[in-house]
Parts: sequence; structure tokens; C-alpha cells
Amino acid sequence: MKPDERSFRIALVADRYVNPADGEVDGLAVAAKAGWGVMQLPAADYPAAVTAPVLATIAEELQEFSRHGYDIVQVGDCTGLATALAAAGLSAPDRMTPGTDAELLEYLRARPAPPVSTWSWLAKDQG
Amino acid sequence: MAHCLLNQNSKVGDGAHCAGVYSPVVDVLRAKGWRIEQMPCPELAFTGLNRFWAVKEQLDTPAYRQHCRRLAAGVAEMISVRAGQGEEVALIGVEGSPSMGVHITSSDPARGGRPEWPEGTAEHVSGEGIFVEELRRELDERGLSVRLGGETHALADHDEATQSQQITAALDDR
Repeated sequence: MKPDERSFRIALVADRYVNPADGEVDGLAVAAKAGWGVMQLPAADYPAAVTAPVLATIAEELQEFSRHGYDIVQVGDCTGLATALAAAGLSAPDRMTPGTDAELLEYLRARPAPPVSTWSWLAKDQG
Repeated sequence: MAHCLLNQNSKVGDGAHCAGVYSPVVDVLRAKGWRIEQMPCPELAFTGLNRFWAVKEQLDTPAYRQHCRRLAAGVAEMISVRAGQGEEVALIGVEGSPSMGVHITSSDPARGGRPEWPEGTAEHVSGEGIFVEELRRELDERGLSVRLGGETHALADHDEATQSQQITAALDDR
């Protein structure tokens, strides 16, 4: 079986970088290049009543990643995220707002390796 | 789009095909001019990162259904907003998944106990995963419909070109 290739790195990415307008930073392409997973933050045009439960779900998922030592960063802004994270007992992750693809790529690649994971069977398989 | 297609870190152990973003599906959607919106991973928060591989019958408990229904309601509300703006919506799931399968899920009524089973168990069957069933229920209640496509890595006959063709066909449908 092909080994599990996860990176243990996750970027919370504002919608404007997931669905970029022409000339804007392409967060998905950069994350793919850097080997980071993406959790998309809801678009700014959704009503707060729609985004609140979505952000609560994102916070639930982040609780699970966080307790396993995954590295988590935020790329761009998202109204309501800090409140949802606080309600889940999580502090706000490191955040950056990129001006260019290169700037985002450099930021993601410069992050230190995440804490040792508890995934002992993967470590064994991958030597 | 299923959560794991943008974040392979959410996959069950030994299931991540790449480090993070599974670009082949992203590329198809972007090439066709579709916006991307990521759904939650129903298994991640409920059964955790250290979960075992499972078939639909093992996950299909009232509590998991309730969890999926709560998440599906949030997704359906987002779809409702987009549909209200006159936008078409497509659901890109994960074929073979007990939760996210759109045409093919996994089934083995006898599976349970110590997690060992023979290679080649014929667990893939026609049908939807549990989350997709609950999402469909939420959409039906709102009078909404979506196009359906799926990522096919879990299937024995997976082929990236065929996968792209099938997703493209789903996006072009109607």
C-alpha cells in the first residue's frame, strides 16, 4: 500500500484566496505547492446566521487537529472565526495576509516542522 | 467539494494520497469556471484522526446520523444562498466512502470486532454515503438539487483521466 502522504500542516484560508479574482493570490495553488492542506473559511457574502454554524464546525475539526499536534495557520481574515475558536477553547492561530503567491509560499515553507505526531504506525511505515 | 479533497490531513490513516490539496479535482473545477466551496468532514470530528477504516454499517448509528444531519443543515443553508442567487451547485464527493460517496459507498454487514479482514473484500456497492444521504434530505426539504460527481481514488479501477472526465461530465450535465 502506498504510504500515507499527509503533511500534518493545515492552512485556514479565506475564500478570496480559494476562489481568487484575476491577479489575486491563489491560496489553493500555493498550498498545494507547499504541501499544506486547506480548510476554507466561508465567503464574506454569506449572512452571519449561515456562517456561524459553519465556523463552529471548523472549530470542532480544528480541536481534533490541534490535539494531535498539527500545525495550523490562518491566511487572510474571516469575521467570526476568533469567536468560534474561543468557544471551542482554541486560541487564534498565527495569521498572515499575503500580497503575492511568493510571499505566501515563503511563509508556509518557513514554518517549523509540526510537533511529533502520535501516528506511530505511519512513522514506522515511512522509516 | 468534500473536505478531504482540499485537506488530505483529514483522511483516515493510510488514506492520504498527497500532502494536502488534491489538485486534479481542483483543476477540473477551475478549468470549467466553478467556484469552490469546501464541506466539512463528517468523520473527522466524530470519530477522530485515529479512526479505523470503516464501512457504512459500522458508522450508521443514530448519533452519527444526527451529527451528519447537523453538518448537512449548515451546508444546505450555504447551498440555499447560492441557489437563491441563481447559481448552479455541484456536489463533489468521494466514491467508496461510507460518508461521502455519491454513487458508490462501502458496505459489509458482517464487518466488526478486531479490525482485520481479507484483502479484496468486495465492500463497494452502489449507493450514497451517510452524510450525502443526510445532505440530500436537507436539500429536498428546501426544494434544492445539485449535480453529483466523485473522486475515485478508493476504487480498484481508479484512473485520473477517467475521474476527470466523469467530473467534467457531471459539471456539464443539464
